[in-house]
Amino acid sequence: MSWKTFTRIFKLGITNFWRNRWLSLAATLVMTLTLLIISIFAMMTLVISKTTDSIRDKMDITVYFNDSATVDQIVSFQHQIAARTDVKEVRYISKEEALVSFKNQQAGKKVADLIDPNENPLPRSLEVKANQAESLDQIATFLGQETFTPMVHVISYQENRVVINRLIGFTTFLKKVGWLFSGVFVLISILVILNTIRLTILTRKNEIEIMRLVGANDNFIKVPFIIEGLLYGIIATIISTMFLKIGMQIITPMMNQYLGMDFSNQMTNFFSGNFLSIFGMEILVGIAIGIGCSLISIRKYLKV
Amino acid sequence: MIEIAGATKQYNTVKALDNINLKIARGEFVSIVGPSGAGKSTLIKMLTCEEKPTTGKILIADRNIAKLKSEELPYYRRKVGVVFQDFKLLPQKTVYENVAFALEVCDATDEEIKDRVPKILDLVGMLKKKDNLPTELSGGERQRVSIARALVHSPKILIADEPTGNLDPINSWEIIDLLLRINRQGTVVILATHNKEIVDRIKKRVLLMKGGKLISDRIKAGYCI
Repeated sequence: MSWKTFTRIFKLGITNFWRNRWLSLAATLVMTLTLLIISIFAMMTLVISKTTDSIRDKMDITVYFNDSATVDQIVSFQHQIAARTDVKEVRYISKEEALVSFKNQQAGKKVADLIDPNENPLPRSLEVKANQAESLDQIATFLGQETFTPMVHVISYQENRVVINRLIGFTTFLKKVGWLFSGVFVLISILVILNTIRLTILTRKNEIEIMRLVGANDNFIKVPFIIEGLLYGIIATIISTMFLKIGMQIITPMMNQYLGMDFSNQMTNFFSGNFLSIFGMEILVGIAIGIGCSLISIRKYLKV
Repeated sequence: MIEIAGATKQYNTVKALDNINLKIARGEFVSIVGPSGAGKSTLIKMLTCEEKPTTGKILIADRNIAKLKSEELPYYRRKVGVVFQDFKLLPQKTVYENVAFALEVCDATDEEIKDRVPKILDLVGMLKKKDNLPTELSGGERQRVSIARALVHSPKILIADEPTGNLDPINSWEIIDLLLRINRQGTVVILATHNKEIVDRIKKRVLLMKGGKLISDRIKAGYCI
């Protein structure tokens, strides 16, 4: 294709977009809605996913030792645990560290001064973090072996097992549902925009027929529609990002008030922190949907 | 110039064209007449390559256009001008742009377009209305623009499918007069029509079709079914 032909086709695409402005407006608005739905669901799912990940990351097992256990025994135990592939991190907490942590937790309360550093009753412990929350059960079984029983005072996991398992189940469910809903909504939105673009092209069936009859080749017919699809994508991205930004500012205080939590703040932070990535993703998705749907819709009119 | 040899077109059990054989020489004016369903439009569609014959050949300048590949079709269509009953003008483009478009798709330069479009619009008497949209024109004026578009890349063949079907008698005669003038300049004109009066008065070659068959082929004849 020569440069002259390319500029001619490009100009034709832009002129057609403007001359069919009502159809273009309808397609752009549907595309805007599509992008808004995709962005909101993707952001919500990512935030939920991030929140659940941080909850799961906080789940750990703490092994408290009897005072009779020797340092060598604890170090050897620590090495054995660290050698496991499902263990992410093992941290030793000495009596002194336990006291500092206790005092920090109880700061400002009288109970904080109750413990004398010289007669510290707080046990030494190992904090074990798993690579995946689901492995905690196996790790707890390993820690509960009879060989370790004499030096172990208590294992925190045994007490919280039910709550932890429920939390693991709930977060997994939440993540799956989030992605499932996003997937379903994205699919529906794509079908709607595909149908809209098909309708805009259908109303111009005669135009395509005339183009063919005066000897236009496939590119001359196809490319202007692709350019129109591209314009739908770009304009819809700009509008939907604006809507998203304004919407966040309006909705965040309301959501905070109703929910009494900072989930919406997290959304806002996520939005402003990842603005360029979100805009980039939207423009890529918008252009891909615009061009893809135009190509699919125009295909059947190019025969003969 | 044009030779149709044994062309048959079958749609399921219906034969739209049945073993058509004919030759059209350079510079001829041929009217194709016949009742509805006679096969006139199918024959026209074969010549514009919108349909391909089930069997047989359609030779234009010794080339069988029934065998053209899809990527060759645009180049063939640029060499044949076609005029339709419903004008088929692009509604969003002005008169000038409609005619220029036929040149744009042929990769003509801007200078060529600027040179040829006004001349052809002048020939069909539409230069004064070059900036109007098709919706602002009468039926006769639209058909003139359609003819201008068909002629702008100087085709050797002009095919007119019921060009006067939507026009009143005066406009119809003006269009026929224009087609005759174009024919006098050496272009083959193939006119499919129902209009008896026109066929009787122009006294040119008449092909009569019925039930997909070519019933008669008469030189300087009138309309007779």
